[in-house]
Amino acid sequence: MESKATAGNSVRHGRLAAWAWSALLLAILAFLVIYPVMMLLLGTLTDSNPVTDGYAAMHLSLGNFFTVLTNPNVHEILGNSLLACAGGTVFAVLIGLFFAWIVVRTNTPWKGLIAATGMLPLFVPPLVAGVAWSILGSPKTGLINTFLAKAGIDWRINLYSMPGIIFVFGMYYAPYVYMFTASALRNMDPSLEEAAEISGAGPVRTLFTVTFPLILPAIISGMLLSFVVMLGIYGIPAVLGAPANISVLTTYIFALTSWAPPRYSTAAAVAMILMVVTGILVYLQQKVISGRSFTTVAGKAFRPRALNLGPWRFLTLGLAIVYLIIVVVLPTLALLVAAFRKFLFIRDIPSLFDAKQYSLLHFDRLFSNPATLTSIINTMKVGVITAMIGGVLAFAIGYTTVRSNAPGRRVIDMIATVPVAIPGLVIGVAYLWAWIGLPGGFYGTIWILALAFVARFLPDTVKALSTSLMQIHRELEEAAWICGRGTLSTIATIMLPLARPGVIAAMTLLFVLAIRELGSSLFLYSSSTMVMAVQLLGYYEGGNVSVTAAFSLVQMVILGVLIGITNRLSRGATGGVGRAG
Amino acid sequence: MSANLAIANLRKVFATGKPAVDDVSFTVEAGEIVVLLGPSGCGKTTTLRCVAGLEHPTDGTIHIGDTLVSAPARGLLVPPRARNVGMVFQSYAVWPHMTVRQNVAYPLKGRGLTSDEAARKVDGALDLVDLAQYADRPVVQLSGGQMQRVALARSMVYEPRLLLLDEPLSNLDAQLRLRLRDDLRRIIKAAGLTALYVTHDQLEAVVLGDRIGVMQNGKLLQMATPEQVYNRPADLFVASFTGASNFMAGKVKARDGEWGTVELAGGHTITAWFATGLAAGDAVTIAIRPENIRLEAAEAQNRYTVDVVSQRFQGVQTAYELQLGSTTIEALATGTTMRHPAGSSVTINIPPEICWAYPAA
Ligand SMILES: Nc1ncnc2c1ncn2[C@@H]1O[C@H](COP(=O)(O)OP(=O)(O)O)[C@@H](O)[C@H]1O
Ligand SMILES: [Mg+2]
Repeated sequence: MESKATAGNSVRHGRLAAWAWSALLLAILAFLVIYPVMMLLLGTLTDSNPVTDGYAAMHLSLGNFFTVLTNPNVHEILGNSLLACAGGTVFAVLIGLFFAWIVVRTNTPWKGLIAATGMLPLFVPPLVAGVAWSILGSPKTGLINTFLAKAGIDWRINLYSMPGIIFVFGMYYAPYVYMFTASALRNMDPSLEEAAEISGAGPVRTLFTVTFPLILPAIISGMLLSFVVMLGIYGIPAVLGAPANISVLTTYIFALTSWAPPRYSTAAAVAMILMVVTGILVYLQQKVISGRSFTTVAGKAFRPRALNLGPWRFLTLGLAIVYLIIVVVLPTLALLVAAFRKFLFIRDIPSLFDAKQYSLLHFDRLFSNPATLTSIINTMKVGVITAMIGGVLAFAIGYTTVRSNAPGRRVIDMIATVPVAIPGLVIGVAYLWAWIGLPGGFYGTIWILALAFVARFLPDTVKALSTSLMQIHRELEEAAWICGRGTLSTIATIMLPLARPGVIAAMTLLFVLAIRELGSSLFLYSSSTMVMAVQLLGYYEGGNVSVTAAFSLVQMVILGVLIGITNRLSRGATGGVGRAG
Repeated sequence: MSANLAIANLRKVFATGKPAVDDVSFTVEAGEIVVLLGPSGCGKTTTLRCVAGLEHPTDGTIHIGDTLVSAPARGLLVPPRARNVGMVFQSYAVWPHMTVRQNVAYPLKGRGLTSDEAARKVDGALDLVDLAQYADRPVVQLSGGQMQRVALARSMVYEPRLLLLDEPLSNLDAQLRLRLRDDLRRIIKAAGLTALYVTHDQLEAVVLGDRIGVMQNGKLLQMATPEQVYNRPADLFVASFTGASNFMAGKVKARDGEWGTVELAGGHTITAWFATGLAAGDAVTIAIRPENIRLEAAEAQNRYTVDVVSQRFQGVQTAYELQLGSTTIEALATGTTMRHPAGSSVTINIPPEICWAYPAA
């Protein structure tokens, strides 16, 4: 209890403590987000190498950036990126919208199952998807082409091409468009459509003149988001584009840093381009979301109108099954066959079912390399550190922004949201620039990976935690103050226990996101801090498809188990894994 | 020990809109229960939260006992935890992750009690609210009324200097509300606590309060005993909010101290109690409670013969609509018989002391 004499001073002390607290959070955010982004900017504006030259000897000029901007190579690569993402987005919109309509507005059988399994592609790491599709669709040895040849069909597919990248992009990122449009369709007042039909429009005309225009903001929003995610993906274009010499921004940035000598400043400049494009698109998306017309979205739940498709419903079911076979069944089978078959060469169809051809040989080889286990252990370490630091930080930021009146909380919230617009790969380059030239050995440790992941996924974690904090009635906290408790004691005894499910869910989500992250790891790992995703890339580039497939399966199993746990802990986790790509 | 509460010139202006609390001053004596009564949005909760320290007043001072706890002009604001007040929230705010006992024991921590003493206090508080047999239940398994009593026990267990209650009964069903209303006064008095109680229900205010303060638009209009509030409302709003539903327009003929005569719009003359600030010739509104009008009465003063417009049977009472001059007024007669059918005429008497004249609105 405070005595009467000091009671007045405690106001000033409280104010001082609030300032100190805000300053601490801002300092942490400056360290995690602002400093690396500033260093990236510095890297963009110089042509020196931070490793050999240090930070002191840099001459700053816009020259480097202009050289990069005017480089025809960069133009071509930017063009490739935009083409691949635009094509992939168009494809994703067609699939996503179609599925949203099937699931929400028709009487197609097994809608629930279609909706659930249709989300699975979101959880597949892009590199794994790329590996699976290279096993299926490489021009010479791809399983699909082998089958076509055996079946005497002359036509061949080649996924090592721009259409191949577009195809895989579209297939795997359609769920974004689906998520946005399905919920818009669910929230739409069905009487708007009924009015169109009473005015004489048929179902198809109603769909294209009333339904789709009304959910246009959701379509655009899903479109922009899937475009942004594709833009930041490394794994798919790396696997499918490299054999055909197709570079996109992400693969080009990584290539720049692996040349000898590494071209760090050019990489920074290209990363800056990637960040600016992403930033613009994210800004547009936020505008579309916030400007969304709510005239069709009333507070009540509507009974969705299910169009009776008659016999056509089996056609829609068939199309759904085809999609699921393409994105789930075929890639899984490809990985299974490649991982368990002694030789990937398939002489004829019966040999595919010959048990003697299968063994655990490749798994033995995978685990006989000590690097495999080391990378798994490293990944788990990084995951735990990320989840711990990220969880605590996000709780602190969430509490400060939604529950306190600490000074500067708007700015804190804003800075914590900035990484939404920074692709993982760009974070990687920014952290590289921030730390590689500094003595002290921070670069190359597990901690730099963990901190980069904390920064990268901060917006998702803060959002998840803020939501769960906002659901706790204010009076529950005030009651504790009245009972004589201070802020910290109240947080420890009331807020934390009540928010515990949300905190645990956010930390598990963070763990899952961290262990599947490839983009930022590429620039930050060292031989002693190799993580799973990078090790997988190593196996792939080493050329052993079977070991790569075996490791892919191992990672999928680990991820599957963890995502299962996350989903048990929280319903909202799905969207979070989504943004990471 | 219970302390008195003194609020002087309290103001609270939120970032948006007009003042939520506007120049409110009153005191609560040690051991007294004062009820703030008023319609929703009039500033009752804000006043209470300023006393608790949960809201920062814009201006004015608050003393609890001898301690000045809030004086924004001097930059002084004691945080809630250091005010040693108890509070029952409108949502109860019992912590769902704890048992009944844990909830009630929570405030005792850090007050220098041995665990034996604390346990004894918790048991005492639970006995007081009649929840002893539920002590080890998780609170989420309790009914609304029981949660409300947990909140009450928790707010009293550390013998705060002052107990604050924000519409503690408003989330309960009508039956329970009646029972708890009486219990609440008994419990608070048994504990000897000073209490400030907020409600929008006039019956609750009358049953619970030693004094009632009526608020409107952030202003405290009257602070008096329930009897005074009901029989001498300070103004037209207080009169109508506490149930005077008959209004008659008129003009002052003459005034003699607290009393005077008014000429009603229909030509009748009536003798009434006069609020301050009225003089001959002023336009006035006269307010009368329907249950105060006497039917078939013999007194000579304010006696009128009027036509019955309608009669409505309401069970234990009957409501009559009567035509007095140009206005229709309502009168209530208790009993289960209806005596005056529509179209008949009846003699009524309105004693001057229940007939209040205010400046016309
Ligand atoms: N936090 C706040 N911010 C802005 N206005 C508020 C806030 N709290 C209350 N008000 C306003 O102050 C007025 C009084 O509110 P309140 O004290 O809650 O009324 P009551 O408890 O009598 O119903 C209302 O007009 C309300 O809208
Ligand atoms: Mg209120």
